[in-house]
Amino acid sequence: MMLGQSQRTGHSIVDSLPFLVPRYNFERRPAGSRVAILPASEYSGKLSNLLWEGLKLFKPNVVGKCVLLKPNLVDYIPGAEINTHPTVVVAAAESFRRFGATRVVVAEGPGHQRDTQLVLQATGLAQQLNEHGIPFVDLNRDEVVKVRLRANYSGLKNLWLPRTLLSADFIVSMPKVKTHHWAGVTLSLKNMFGVVPGVKYGWPKNLLHWRGIQQCIVDLAATVPIHFVIADALVCMEGNGPLAGTSRRLDRIVLSDDCIAADVTCARLMGFAPERIPHIAETAKFLGNISPERIMQLAERVASPGVPFKTVPEFEFLRA
Amino acid sequence: LTVLAEPDGVEAMIARLRDVLSARRLPGGGWPFSSGSSQMALEPTCLTLLALRPDTFMPTQILIDSQRTDGGWPSFAGDDQSSGLTGLALLTLNRFGIAHHARRRAVRWLMQTRGKEADWPWNWKFRTRDTHVRFDPRKFGWPWHNGTCSWVVPTSFAVLALKREFPDKRPRAVARRIQTGVEMLFDRACPRGGWNAGNGVVYGRPMAPHIDSTAIALLALQQEPASEIAALSLAWLDGQARDCNAPWNLAWSILALHGYDRPVDRLQRRLACLAQSEPLTDIATLAITVLALDCKASANPFHFPE
Repeated sequence: MMLGQSQRTGHSIVDSLPFLVPRYNFERRPAGSRVAILPASEYSGKLSNLLWEGLKLFKPNVVGKCVLLKPNLVDYIPGAEINTHPTVVVAAAESFRRFGATRVVVAEGPGHQRDTQLVLQATGLAQQLNEHGIPFVDLNRDEVVKVRLRANYSGLKNLWLPRTLLSADFIVSMPKVKTHHWAGVTLSLKNMFGVVPGVKYGWPKNLLHWRGIQQCIVDLAATVPIHFVIADALVCMEGNGPLAGTSRRLDRIVLSDDCIAADVTCARLMGFAPERIPHIAETAKFLGNISPERIMQLAERVASPGVPFKTVPEFEFLRA
Repeated sequence: LTVLAEPDGVEAMIARLRDVLSARRLPGGGWPFSSGSSQMALEPTCLTLLALRPDTFMPTQILIDSQRTDGGWPSFAGDDQSSGLTGLALLTLNRFGIAHHARRRAVRWLMQTRGKEADWPWNWKFRTRDTHVRFDPRKFGWPWHNGTCSWVVPTSFAVLALKREFPDKRPRAVARRIQTGVEMLFDRACPRGGWNAGNGVVYGRPMAPHIDSTAIALLALQQEPASEIAALSLAWLDGQARDCNAPWNLAWSILALHGYDRPVDRLQRRLACLAQSEPLTDIATLAITVLALDCKASANPFHFPE
């Protein structure tokens, strides 16, 4: 990774250094992981059935549990594919209810826009959530609790995190598959920056940038378990993401019971080498699987695109 | 909607919303962000105090009590660091003309606090090597969180608070600090006007402004000499407010447009309709709604001169 990228809105010099020393003291990497790449051509009601059938491959045990869906809602810019599409969010919520979850809540703390209600309205998510009786929690303004981090890459030691997040039994990261000009990619791991509350860390959550975006992603992943991933890879973003990139279709929804395996698979679908993405490479040492031999593909096989996703120049080295 | 049908509908609504705010006060004082929470937070507490205009000292006592020894305020009860909303807390106390000692300490904190880009190694780095975000690090404001860069909202509240605290005959150091903050705001504006969090141009691409940040920045820039950026921003805000249906953003738009003597009656009516059609559960939004609905009848607390 290049030196000299922005600490103001990007990652720090320490980001540029490889993760030389392990800074975790536990391992929860499963023996094997499962991923399902599902073909999807449009954001429509058909996604409900697609997700239901896809989730049945995993049989998620959510009976009697509180499920928290964490979509990627950053900002609203007309015509820009920034956010997880509302249809995917609602289809996921309906599926988990059918699997027996007692409560499904959608929760997010946008990193740019302070008016979360505006993002919900403008994207159409507010209307869809209302129609389906699905509650939403603004994690930027939720009650917060100080939590000790379970890895120490950022040096932060503790983070204040929302109570709604901490009280959920089953956390589903639902990223919009995008390139990111400071982190390389926004996938299920980077998506979790949205749980860090703006009430404490501001808009944007600049402390995480100063402490190293890659490092903070790893610390968060170690501390806040992601139980499942539903990645919106139907219409994605390439180039100067996460806000100012251009649309790029993959026509896929990616499901996984391992967030590392999900991000590895999405990175490959984007034409990137996942082992070159620092936070994926590091979390693969103790949180999930990167090796194709340990990742069982339940639906389509991983196929790299003919042309990899465009990136800003500093991340061209990600291309496989 | 009934609020529009009845002549005193808006006034009755303001009274009702004030009752709701009063009822949501925490037993220990202060207000949380959401009704279900028991954690006092600084922003809803300040906005609610401004909206309620209590005539007794008691409700404001929590603000004085929660000030940290360094003069800043934490974002919420339990936090052990001062936050970028210290300017808003100072502005609130100033509004009531109370707690002079606490305000002096807050001024001292604001004078000592600055974005990290003001420190020379970072200043040099941002000017010479780290230039993907277009900004001039010599023009610095205030950060959200200690040890990070300056951003538009905390800078705007700090500038507003210092201007209000020293309405005339400003000490030279205060005047200079206000000026640097003002220059930072102009520097971080989006090229076609308006502000977002503080990234006007990234990787050569102009970024989109946000309504609330633009409104708060414009309020901070009242009394500044006329400028093209402020004029563009005001025009942009005016246009956005016409179609905005999000109460938080609409309320801030009203307060800013009122601060610049623009007509806000129609916007106020729409805000009243929004507040009536859907219960506002976020207390900060509820409070800013009251302030926006009431800004003509009572004084707009963010308006200069009062």
